[in-house]
Amino acid sequence: MSAIRIGFTIALALMAQTTLARFLVDGDTHVDLVLVTVVLAALSGGSIVGLWTGTVGGLFQDVLSGGIVGVSGLAKSIVGVLVGVVVAQFVVSTVWHRAVILALATIAHALFFFGVYAFLEPVGPIFSVAGILAQVITNAIVGIVAVALINFVPTVIERGPFRRASLSRRWNADRGVR
Amino acid sequence: MLAVILGHVLLISAQVNARPSSNSSALETATFGVLSEAQRVITASLDNVRAVWTGYVELRAVRSENEALRHDIAGLEFELQQQRALAEETHKLQQLLELREHVEPETLSARVIAADATPWFRTLTIDRGASDGIRSDLAVIAPKGVVGRVIGLPGPRAAKVQLLIDRNAAAGALIERTRAVGVVMGSDDESTLRLEYVSNLEDVKVGDVVVTAGIDGIYPKGFVIGTVDHVELGSGLYKGIRVDPVVEFSQLEDVLVVMTDQPTVPGFTGME
Repeated sequence: MSAIRIGFTIALALMAQTTLARFLVDGDTHVDLVLVTVVLAALSGGSIVGLWTGTVGGLFQDVLSGGIVGVSGLAKSIVGVLVGVVVAQFVVSTVWHRAVILALATIAHALFFFGVYAFLEPVGPIFSVAGILAQVITNAIVGIVAVALINFVPTVIERGPFRRASLSRRWNADRGVR
Repeated sequence: MLAVILGHVLLISAQVNARPSSNSSALETATFGVLSEAQRVITASLDNVRAVWTGYVELRAVRSENEALRHDIAGLEFELQQQRALAEETHKLQQLLELREHVEPETLSARVIAADATPWFRTLTIDRGASDGIRSDLAVIAPKGVVGRVIGLPGPRAAKVQLLIDRNAAAGALIERTRAVGVVMGSDDESTLRLEYVSNLEDVKVGDVVVTAGIDGIYPKGFVIGTVDHVELGSGLYKGIRVDPVVEFSQLEDVLVVMTDQPTVPGFTGME
C-alpha cells in the first residue's frame, strides 16, 4: 500500500468525518472514519502501515478537533500497531473476523484515548459507555461496508464493460473481423 | 515505533505545560487553515447538491405554502403594528427614566462548514477567520440562543467554535424569573447542560428560562441558553439543575459571531 494511497484515504476519511458524517447520523456522530481507515490499513499492510496511518490520521484529527494535539494520534498509532500484530499472528480472512477486529480496536482506542485524558485533565472529553458501544457497532458496520465496496467495485469493473469488451473481441475474432 | 510514540508523548507534554488551552501553535493553526479550506470546498459542493434537491422538492409544495404564508403575513402585519406602538411607548418611558441606552451588539454572520473530527468533543468549524476579525473567546450565537465561543487561534478563513454542550465549556448564567446567578456547564449527557452554583435557597422551577449573565467576559448579557428541565435539592449548598438548551446544535448551519466585548441585549428581557 503506497504512502500516497494511504494519505489520500486518510484525507478522504477526515473530510467525510467532518462534513458528511454529521448529516448521515443526525448530528450525534458516533462513527470514527479515521479509526476505521487505520484498522483497515493495518489489516492489509501490517504494523508499520498501521503505525503511520494512525499517527498521521490521528494528528490531523487532533488539529481539527477541540482537544490536545497528539492524544488521538497516540491512541490510533498504538491501535494500528496492535491490529498489525494480530494480523501477523492470526488469519483474518472473513468479514466477521474483520468486524470483530474493528469492534475490539474501537474499544482499545477508547481506552487509550480516555486513559490519556484522565492523566492530563480533570475535565476531559465526554465519556459515555453508550457512546463507545454505539461507536463499536457503527465502526464495525462501516468497516464491513467499506471492505465489501473495496472488493466489489473492482469485480464489477472487471465483469462489466471490460468483460463485455473481451467477449466482443472474441466474437469478432471467431468471425474473422479485425 | 517507540520513536513515534515518544514523539507523541513529547508533543502532548509540551502542550500540557504550555496551557491555557486557547493557545495553539503556528503549525497547528496553519494545518487547521489548510484542512478547513478543503472542508469549505466540500461543504459548498454538498450545499449545492442539497439546494438543487430541496429546490425541486419544495417547488412541488410551493403553491399551498404560498397561500398559508399570505395568511400568516396578514396576521404578522397586524402584530407588527402593535409591537411598533409598544416599542415607541417603551422608548418614551426609557427617556423619561433616563436609562442608559443599550448598544446593539455588532455581529458577523458565519456558515458552519464542518463538525468535530472526533466524536468525543463538541466543536464546529465556521467559515470566518482571522481575516474577518475573528479572535479567540468571541461569543457565537444563533437566532434561538447561545451556541458557544471561538477557541484556539483561528485560521485565515476559518475558526473553531466550542459548543456550550462540550464538557469543557461554561458560561455565567441566571434564571430570568428570579435572577438567581449560576454557571452553566456541559454535562456527561451529550445534549443537556448543568446549571451549577445556584443556592438551595433560591426559587427555581422546571420551565424557568436560563439566560447569560454577562459576568464571564465572553458571553453578552441576556441571551437565552435554555429552559430548566430538572431541579433537585443538592446534598451541599447548591441545587442540582439540568438545563435543556434552546439551540438544536446538530442542525446548526448559520451562526452569528458577536464581535464586540460583552454587549448587552437591548431591553434584556430574554425569551418572550
